[in-house]
Amino acid sequence: MLLEAHQVSRAFGSFLALSGAELELAEGEIVGLIGPNGAGKSTFFNCLSGDLQPTSGRILFAGSEVTRATPEAHARLGIGRTFQVPATFEEMSILDNVMVGAFLRHPARGEAREAARRIVEFAGLDRLRDQPARSLGTPGRKRLEIARVLASEPRLILLDEALAGLNPVEIQEAIALVRRIHARGITLVIVEHIMEVILSLTGRVLVFNQGRTIASGKPRDIVDHPAVIEAYLGQRRQRRRRE
Amino acid sequence: MRWGWLAIAVALLLYPWILTGPFYERMGADLLLAAIAAAAWNILGGYAGQISVGHAVFYGIGAYVPLLVYTHWQLPPVLGIPAGILVSLAVAAVIGVPTFRLQGHYFSMATIAVAELVRIVVGNWDFVGAAIGLMGPAVPRSLLDLSFKSAVPYYYIFLAVLAAILALTAHLERGRMGYYWRAIRAGERAARSLGVPVRRYKLWALLLSAGFTSLAGSLYALMVGFVDPESAFGILVSVEMIITAALGGVGTLLGPLLGAAILVPLKATTNSLFGGGGSGLTYILYGGIILLLARFEPGGLIELSRRIATRSLKKAKARAA
Repeated sequence: MLLEAHQVSRAFGSFLALSGAELELAEGEIVGLIGPNGAGKSTFFNCLSGDLQPTSGRILFAGSEVTRATPEAHARLGIGRTFQVPATFEEMSILDNVMVGAFLRHPARGEAREAARRIVEFAGLDRLRDQPARSLGTPGRKRLEIARVLASEPRLILLDEALAGLNPVEIQEAIALVRRIHARGITLVIVEHIMEVILSLTGRVLVFNQGRTIASGKPRDIVDHPAVIEAYLGQRRQRRRRE
Repeated sequence: MRWGWLAIAVALLLYPWILTGPFYERMGADLLLAAIAAAAWNILGGYAGQISVGHAVFYGIGAYVPLLVYTHWQLPPVLGIPAGILVSLAVAAVIGVPTFRLQGHYFSMATIAVAELVRIVVGNWDFVGAAIGLMGPAVPRSLLDLSFKSAVPYYYIFLAVLAAILALTAHLERGRMGYYWRAIRAGERAARSLGVPVRRYKLWALLLSAGFTSLAGSLYALMVGFVDPESAFGILVSVEMIITAALGGVGTLLGPLLGAAILVPLKATTNSLFGGGGSGLTYILYGGIILLLARFEPGGLIELSRRIATRSLKKAKARAA
């Protein structure tokens, strides 16, 4: 197993945001995390990336314990992430943004630059290479974040709603990019609201509701799962009735 | 760009031959000293984005230690320079560990608190001259005392130091260190997610910055031959470093020198026009500059000139097309 999470819980004060989450991820998989807002998927995601420390439970990456490791230690071990609201380095050029990622494995400037150039080209940002990141719109920023984390040469990338806010054409382009990243042998965990993305990309889905994993399985089966319908559609139906 | 630097270097080398007389000579030395201090501050505050308003601590230590070794042991003040740097580095490491847990304004406020604390302690500590301060050798005992009547020797010493600091900064700016600093300034969380050891790189910036600020303080004490708590540890010492760097452009190589080239002559003029009462006016001027920068051009004059250049370039292109 590349990544194992056992009984991961996280409380904020007295509020239990995540309770006993389980995940076993084999190298080369793409797993989706879905669930309504506040279901705990972002909390779980942040525990996996090292941005949050679990209150209890264990997380292992490639056999070594990373439960309480810092985000930078996660990056060094090979776990990369993107952010829901893109956190690109606004004043730096696109190539320089990617170079920050590349410096992790290539301390020398020349090598980092070469590696960053290849990634920028791979991500289709070549033409805009010398523009500052702030000149990009949301789709460009999300693409740049993906390029930047790729440059740090991770084994696992955690994508946090990397496709939210994109139009249908951009979504198709982004899906194609994620497929090409997967084809490089990189394992992916995807948090996403858009069902189309989940259905077309992931091999397995974990459904969160009220801090717990209520179902897991193949995306096609998950859509018909009663607990999932309850969590997603049930609420909406009840709301409609109330109105 | 390379020609620009060459022109600046030539202008600075020739300055004492073109503008002669004690007033201009002293102004030139003051200008370079302000540029050194601002360039030192700029490493932490500009490149790494950690706005310290307490750099007077390091400046003050640098200014005091040379005169302290002279006062107590009759040693040449120059020997106090490395000692001052070592003390500054130790203090920086001690301050850095707790304050770097704070971000943004909280960090800045903590640095003010530390600096004011040190100023008050120094002002009440007899060993370091308390409120009166310390004097250097009145008459040079040997060349080693580095006590000159004219400001020109200081001018060239300062120029060499400034060149060394800018060369080192330029080197670091291009490498991993510079990229990591800029990433930290842009967003610590994103930087950490890419494997940037944020604490360590902030500490590197602080140590370099503190060491050079201490050196600037020492050079000041050598030239002036007298320090007191206000002139070495006062909050205005920190504020001047910030304004000088910010006016030119924070996080740029040329910014501190450009800022000093404007502020120091301005201050010298107001002081000579209005005498002692002019010093109050200087600070009103500082306040005005802070306001204008914050409102219109946080990137400083460098950013402004860049913007004008790209705009005229675009216009020229539009005309050609």
